[in-house]
Amino acid sequence: MGETLVAVGGAFLASGLLARLGRRIGLPTIPFFMVAGILFGPATPGLVLVEDPEDLELLAALGLVLLLFHLGLEFSLDDLIGGGRKLLGAGAVYLVLNVGGGLALGFGLGWGTREAFVIAGAVGISSSAIVTKLLVELRRLANPESRLILGIIVVEDIFLALYLAILQPVLGESEGLGEAGLEFGRAFAFLLLLAAIARWGARWVGKLVDASDDELLTVCFVGVALLAAGVAEEVGVSDAIGAFMAGLILAESAAHDRIERLVLPLRDAFAALFFFAFGLTIDPGDVGSVALPVAIAVVVSLLLNLAAGILVARMHDYRRGPAANVGLTILGRGEFSLILATLAAAAGLDDRIGPFVAGYVLVLALAGPLLASRSAAIAHWIPPRLVGETASAARA
Amino acid sequence: MSNEIEEQELPGIGRRYRLAGRDGGSAVVVIHHSGRRDLYVMAPDADAPQATLTLTDRQARTLGAVLSGAYFTPAVVEEMEAVIGDILIDWVTLRPDSPGADRSIAELEVRRRTRMTVVAVARDAGTIIAPEPTEVLRAGDRLVVVGRREDLASFTRHVIGAASG
Repeated sequence: MGETLVAVGGAFLASGLLARLGRRIGLPTIPFFMVAGILFGPATPGLVLVEDPEDLELLAALGLVLLLFHLGLEFSLDDLIGGGRKLLGAGAVYLVLNVGGGLALGFGLGWGTREAFVIAGAVGISSSAIVTKLLVELRRLANPESRLILGIIVVEDIFLALYLAILQPVLGESEGLGEAGLEFGRAFAFLLLLAAIARWGARWVGKLVDASDDELLTVCFVGVALLAAGVAEEVGVSDAIGAFMAGLILAESAAHDRIERLVLPLRDAFAALFFFAFGLTIDPGDVGSVALPVAIAVVVSLLLNLAAGILVARMHDYRRGPAANVGLTILGRGEFSLILATLAAAAGLDDRIGPFVAGYVLVLALAGPLLASRSAAIAHWIPPRLVGETASAARA
Repeated sequence: MSNEIEEQELPGIGRRYRLAGRDGGSAVVVIHHSGRRDLYVMAPDADAPQATLTLTDRQARTLGAVLSGAYFTPAVVEEMEAVIGDILIDWVTLRPDSPGADRSIAELEVRRRTRMTVVAVARDAGTIIAPEPTEVLRAGDRLVVVGRREDLASFTRHVIGAASG
């Protein structure tokens, strides 16, 4: 027991201290949690805190469940409807370019069809956590385009939910069309059931867990989240989408605000462990062997993000500065890419996906904030006519 | 919310309020779900803020009180109100078309009909503290009134009249 506690405690502390170093120079935490896992894992020389990544499996799963549960809890269609059609349009432009680009890249790598579907999401979906934090830290919340960026993130979250819902049947190794259809049907029925509960039964589930003291509320909502995730996994949809739906259900309850406050520390702690555990599975040597695909993916993402920024700026009559801000801020990749890589590993897909996503997230997580903070300089590289700016206005 | 302020939801962060300043710039306040406030000062037509300030919930309330004149009230402020406990002190200006113009306080039966008391009348000729009931109010007079907050509306209706425009 003592040995396990040392391993878990060391994992927390190594993640926390390494990420603190990163925070000092304004870098996001997620890649540092992952790097802590790589450094103190079996694949690198030096101190090995956890020999076998499976030792942390359960705790890491808790992190994944809480991440998605919180996402479901925060999820609000009102945000989307309030933003209007333009916001939806901006999100759609972003997703078509980036997920489409990711899919093309995935097929281009030739690792397989199922692998391509995972790469599409891992490369195409930004990190809500990193993007939101970046906007706050760069002090850009007052900029008009920042609301647009947050809107695109909301659209991406909705897409993520739908994508996760259909991904698991796609990943499953089903024999023939009939079995695939059956699996898909079962997964769909379960999601429909959860959606129905969210729509009509949320009040009852809310009443069930809504204890007046925080202690009991916490115990109960953690139970709901884990149970939904577990049952989801058992019926062949991913635990991730089960946890997301649990959050969606409790989002409608009267205890919503309290749950949102209470789940944050739990989520932060166990999510760090999830990223650490992901790092444990990564051998830096393997990342080296996929360096070329990683480099291509980074360049593709950078170009497609800028393209999305320019298109969105055109839709809103923004100039080059905001166009660069949009493209470079949403470049951050993190938790969702790593979650998808974990799902891919669990489904037994090509084992190059793990190192590929690790390398990709690492590069973008470090380059993203640096590029975003220099977006004003980068904006000058955008030809003015692309955003409908006249040359004279650009000089002014 | 008054139409001078533009209010927007920032998904995942909180709400954003924008107040246009007189010089074409604007002040933007972001209230985070955590209670943190960010204050941004935007120059006219600029892409990035000129100045930013982060405040805790408590600091923000203090700054708000300073801005609303709770600590110091400039003389140019024509109409303002302060509430201490359940006592309200308000400063209102009589217009030429106000029902109270050219009538005495006694004639208006201010205290009986509105339950508020006129404690001072400020006019160009000089300020009258504790005016007699016979004092005739004139357009342009600034009245300092005391009473309960809920009675202010009836006082305004009875003496000042509906806001013009």
